Amino acid sequence: MRPPIAPMPPRKSQYGIDPSLVRRRVSELPGITSITLKELFPELPDVIVPGPGGLPAVRRAAEATLDAVDMSRIKPGDSVNVLASHHGFTLLGGEPYAEMLKAIKDVIVRRTGCTDIRLRAGVGLRFRETEEYIRRFGLDTHFNGKAIGVAPIDQAIPIETEIGTLYGIKRVYDADWIVHAHNSDVREVHFHRQVDRAVKPFGMSYARIETRSTYHQNMGPRAANFIARAIFDSPFVQGKYAFSCFLTMSPNGIMGVDADRDLYALNERVTFTGCSLYGRVMTLFGEIDECIVALDFPCPVVYVFSAGVIYANFAGANTDLYDLELPLPAYTWYTEAFYGKQGRPLLPEIPPLNPAIKMCVQNYAWTGYPSAFFSEHIPTVIVGKEQAELFDRDAQNALYTSHAKILDTTEEAMAYARKTTGSEKVLVFDGAFGGLNLTEPLAELLLKKAPAVSRRVDEELLPKWLRQRGISSAA
Amino acid sequence: MKTVRLLAVVDPAKCTGCTICDRVCPTLAIKTDRKLHLASVDEARCSGCPACEQRCPEGAIHVVVRERPFHMGVEVPPADRVQVDAICRKAKFHPEQLVCYCTATRADEVAAAILQGAHTPEEISYRTGVRTGCTVECLQPMLRLLDAAGIFPKPPPGGWQWYGKTVTAWEIPEAIKRKYGASGFYFDEDIEILDRVVNAPSQEE
Repeated sequence: MRPPIAPMPPRKSQYGIDPSLVRRRVSELPGITSITLKELFPELPDVIVPGPGGLPAVRRAAEATLDAVDMSRIKPGDSVNVLASHHGFTLLGGEPYAEMLKAIKDVIVRRTGCTDIRLRAGVGLRFRETEEYIRRFGLDTHFNGKAIGVAPIDQAIPIETEIGTLYGIKRVYDADWIVHAHNSDVREVHFHRQVDRAVKPFGMSYARIETRSTYHQNMGPRAANFIARAIFDSPFVQGKYAFSCFLTMSPNGIMGVDADRDLYALNERVTFTGCSLYGRVMTLFGEIDECIVALDFPCPVVYVFSAGVIYANFAGANTDLYDLELPLPAYTWYTEAFYGKQGRPLLPEIPPLNPAIKMCVQNYAWTGYPSAFFSEHIPTVIVGKEQAELFDRDAQNALYTSHAKILDTTEEAMAYARKTTGSEKVLVFDGAFGGLNLTEPLAELLLKKAPAVSRRVDEELLPKWLRQRGISSAA
Repeated sequence: MKTVRLLAVVDPAKCTGCTICDRVCPTLAIKTDRKLHLASVDEARCSGCPACEQRCPEGAIHVVVRERPFHMGVEVPPADRVQVDAICRKAKFHPEQLVCYCTATRADEVAAAILQGAHTPEEISYRTGVRTGCTVECLQPMLRLLDAAGIFPKPPPGGWQWYGKTVTAWEIPEAIKRKYGASGFYFDEDIEILDRVVNAPSQEE
């Protein structure tokens, strides 16, 4: 058995228990092994992180691609807001994304002579999360004290769009120019369905609650993705937009950095890698017949990573998340909203959460995302009363622990899950870089299934997914 | 329905009276005395949501566990059921549809609150608890349900609580659908799904 891959360490945050309370990682338990993503899918690209080049490789890649971008409109006396999002700081420890942000600032200064460069870092539902990252990664210093977190309840600015007035966060747009600094990781593919993924922050982490509520409540599961495009295409945003710069991601790590003035050209490249690379892992996870999931990562329940994808993706892996003919995946907020008072879907075709997940053991995860739907529909064990108490104090998780069992130790929780479910297949969501931690029976299953999954994605699924998004394979 | 276990508390030594907490509170439970430069919390209205604590630039607000938790919630009286369902469906919601994921509040509870006199999002939040979890995702359902009830509120003056009602799937212009329909947005197909949800049978019976 290959030894487990070191998991992402616990991180001190107001949204999680103190790292000292994470006394045991699931990957330390007997019987946990690992496989690399390259073993599963040898065709995955080579990556710069993890790799021997480390952060300097990210810096070099950023500088190389940024040197090719037209920055001539930015003048020395102008102001520039570099727009970031919390999500980038959850990728491979967060340092690569922080390094890219620093490189963007440095290249703009070098190439344009402009020095009034600010960082505006948007969030999901944890309003101080990026403030924590700004301090952790020294971004406040690097941006000369001009780095702030912004939240969707901050002061608004109305934005006139093709579909009426939508609302952005005023401080996102309080500069002459904006630079969209993001990444191509798929993360919430259950929401965005890999449609305009590269544009999404304009309707989400840069947007006010009016806009985000429009996305999640007013439009429907697929049409919602138009909201971000409407904002980005508005004369107001186009008048400020300078260029975009993305960490380009594969499930096995960071491929490089891609920058472009044309966000839609970048979006096509992001769509292709999102479907072709991540689509393999999603499809393979859909082949898992039964397992115990262990959550062990410094992020909210839905966002913990394994093999480059998140728990919320696996909870919907019983359906094809990329197939746009499927209106409602097993988990989206639209799906959750469409469960009636008896706890059943209002429409018969709504699929259940992935029935292959026999139990979920939450060894370590954060608050700050409404997660009761998961504990209500998937048997869930929480490790440690401190973690349970933290969730009980979270306004977003009033009912989360009422559906869960609480046990004292990781060992006890995993033993309980094995005994109750009878499953020896364990999949650990702990952010292991470049691979995944799991038990041997599950490793054998995935290694056996992977080649056929690859063929199916290449020959059958990928052409369909791209066609549904209006993108040719040649792109 | 929400059990309110937490309470926001202002530290007078740190508060500068900047009014941000005023502007973000979804139940209008915080007021700043502009002469004293000091915010104070109306304990009976505070829903224990994180908005003020999370946005205070001075770290002057913290959240404590209440000695006496209380419930926010509105029952749907049987006599109002027909009218409640009518408001929900006019607003294009199934009455049992969740509109707040954090508090598990459904459309019918919001409609009942409106019928019982909650005529602004802030009053709906105070009575039902909706928008007092994440404080982000459930604004538009409140505005749509108010609109369906013939009530057109104005945002709190000077506040950042909300700015306006926005577009729904049913209002997307045909020209937009034609222009972008081949790019994966599936406008009409989503409307078909949403309409079927609105008209699905109730599980309550």
